Amino acid sequence: MRPLPGTSTGVPPFSLAGGMMLLLITLLVLVTMPQAMAQAETEQNGIQVPNPSAELWRSVRQREGALPGRTQVQGVDSAMLINPYGERWRNFRMKELIPYGGYALGGMLLLLLLFYLVRGKIRVNAGLGDRKLFRYTLYERTIHWFTACTFLFLALTGLILLFGRSLLLPWMGPELFSLLASASKEGHNLFGPLFGVALLLVFFRFVRRNIYQKGDLTWLLKGGGIIGKGHVPSHFFNMGEKSMFWILVLVGSVIVGSGLILVFPLFGQGRISMELAHVSHAVTTLLMIVVILGHIYIGSVGMEGALDGMTTGYCDLNWAREHHAEWAERCEADGDVLDADEVSQRRGETVSGAAVSTRESSA
Amino acid sequence: MARMKFYCDAERCIECNACVTACKNENEVPWGVNRRRVVTIKDGEPGERSLSVACMHCSDAPCIAVCPVDCIYDTIDGVVLHDKDICIGCGYCFYACPFGAPQFPQEGAFGSRGKMDKCTFCAGGPEEDHSVEERRKYGSNRLAEGKLPLCAEMCSTKALLAGDANVIADIYRERVINRGASVLNRGVSYQNAAFRASRGMEGKSSVKE
Repeated sequence: MRPLPGTSTGVPPFSLAGGMMLLLITLLVLVTMPQAMAQAETEQNGIQVPNPSAELWRSVRQREGALPGRTQVQGVDSAMLINPYGERWRNFRMKELIPYGGYALGGMLLLLLLFYLVRGKIRVNAGLGDRKLFRYTLYERTIHWFTACTFLFLALTGLILLFGRSLLLPWMGPELFSLLASASKEGHNLFGPLFGVALLLVFFRFVRRNIYQKGDLTWLLKGGGIIGKGHVPSHFFNMGEKSMFWILVLVGSVIVGSGLILVFPLFGQGRISMELAHVSHAVTTLLMIVVILGHIYIGSVGMEGALDGMTTGYCDLNWAREHHAEWAERCEADGDVLDADEVSQRRGETVSGAAVSTRESSA
Repeated sequence: MARMKFYCDAERCIECNACVTACKNENEVPWGVNRRRVVTIKDGEPGERSLSVACMHCSDAPCIAVCPVDCIYDTIDGVVLHDKDICIGCGYCFYACPFGAPQFPQEGAFGSRGKMDKCTFCAGGPEEDHSVEERRKYGSNRLAEGKLPLCAEMCSTKALLAGDANVIADIYRERVINRGASVLNRGVSYQNAAFRASRGMEGKSSVKE
C-alpha cells in the first residue's frame, strides 16, 4: 500500500481497510494450505508413474563397472553392460595423446636442433689426445646396447601404432600398412618383456655409481656447464647422467609394468585396468622417448668424445678431465692412464675376455 | 536412407538367451567368442531386468575412431563393419567400446589376440556378398537378402528390435505410451500395477465357514 502522490502528509484513507484485507487473505491461505497440499499429494500418488526404463538405465550407468549384472556368457567383463570409461579412453587417445604426444616429440627434436645450431658440438678444449682411460667393460657395453636396441625398436614400433594411421597409412595404403602394423604389434609384444630384462641388468650393474653424492647439486645449479664456458667437475657419472639413469629405472619400470598388464590379457584384467595401463604406458613412454632423444643427442653429435667410452670401452683422457674431472683425477692418481698402444693391445685381449678387471677400481 | 539400429526392450526381455544361440549358430562365430550376450541387472531383486547386448552400431563409433589401422568402417546403412584382413588384433576397439562388443579369439601363446570379431548386424564384411570367404570370416549376410538380423527376427517376446532406427523408435515410443496409458487407466503406480489390474479378491477364500 504505497501512499499516493500528494497524500504524503497524514494517514492515507484506505490503508486500514487494505491492511485488514491483506491479513484476512493471509489467514485464509494459512488455513487452507495443508488441506490443499494433502489433496495434491494423493493426486500425485495416483498419477506417479516412475519409469522403469529410467530406473534400469540409472542402475546400469551408475554402476560404473563396480557392480556388474549377471550373464550366461563367460568372459572377462561380459557382465558389464556399459563401460563409461571407454569413451574417456577414446578421447584421451584421440584428443590428447596423439596431438600432444606429437607436439612433445616434435618439440624435443626442434629443441635439440636449435641447441645444436646455437651451441654446436661441444668440443674437448684440450683436443683429443693419445692417452685414454678405461671406462666401460664389455659386459657394460653389451647391456647398454642391448637396452638401447630393444628400447629403440619398441619406441619405433610403438610410435608406428600410435601415429601410423595419420602419418603412414595415407601413402602406404591399408594392406601394406596393416602388414607393418601387425609386425610392429607382434614385435612390440615379443621384445617388450626383453626390455624389462635389460632394465634389470642395467639397474644392477650401474646403480652403485648412480647414487647421488656431494657435488651433484653444484653441477645442477651450474646447469651442467651448458650455460657458460666452464666445465663442472663430476664423478664417474655426472648429475645429468645419474638423473637419466633414475628416470630410466623408475619410469622404465612403470613402462614395463603397464606393458606386462597389456601384453598378457589372460589374468582376468578387465577393460578398465587395461585402459589405465594403456594411459600410463603411453604417457611414461613418451616421456622416456623425449629423455632418450636428449641422451642420444648428447652422447653422439652433441659432444666430442662422449661416444667412445660406450663403443670402444676407452675414453679420451682430455675428455674425462673436462667432463668427469674428479674421476679422471682419481684414475690418474691410481696410474690407470693408458697410451694408444696399450689400448689397442688391451682391446685385442678384451675381445677374448681377459682384461675386464681394470675398471673395477674406478667404481 | 535407413540407419540400422538394435534396441532391446527391457520390459519384454525374458532372458531366454535365444538371441545368443541364434547368433552363434547363424554366424558360426569362432570358438570362445559370443557376439551377443544377455545381461541381467539386479538378478533376483525387485526391479530385475535383462538386456540383450551386442555391437550397437554407433553413429559416432569409438572403435572406428581408435583403430590404429583404420579397419573398421560404417556402411551407408549405418552398420559398423570391419575388415579382418587389415585387423592386427591390438584390442584398442575393445578398450574403447562401451558395450564390450569386440571379441578376440585366442590365437597364439600367452593369450595373444587374433583378428577381432563382432556383430555385423548380419551384414557380412567387405568381401563379395555371399562369397565363401565372407561366410568364413564374418558369417551370415542376411541384409544382402533383404532380411534383418536373426537374433531380433526370432526373438519370442519381440524384446529385441532391429531395423531402421526411425521405425524402431516409433515402435518403442508406442509401447511406452501404451504402458503409461494402461497405468493411468488403472489409477495405480507403474510398479504396483505390473500390467495387471487388481482382481478384487479382498475377503474371498476357497472355503467359507
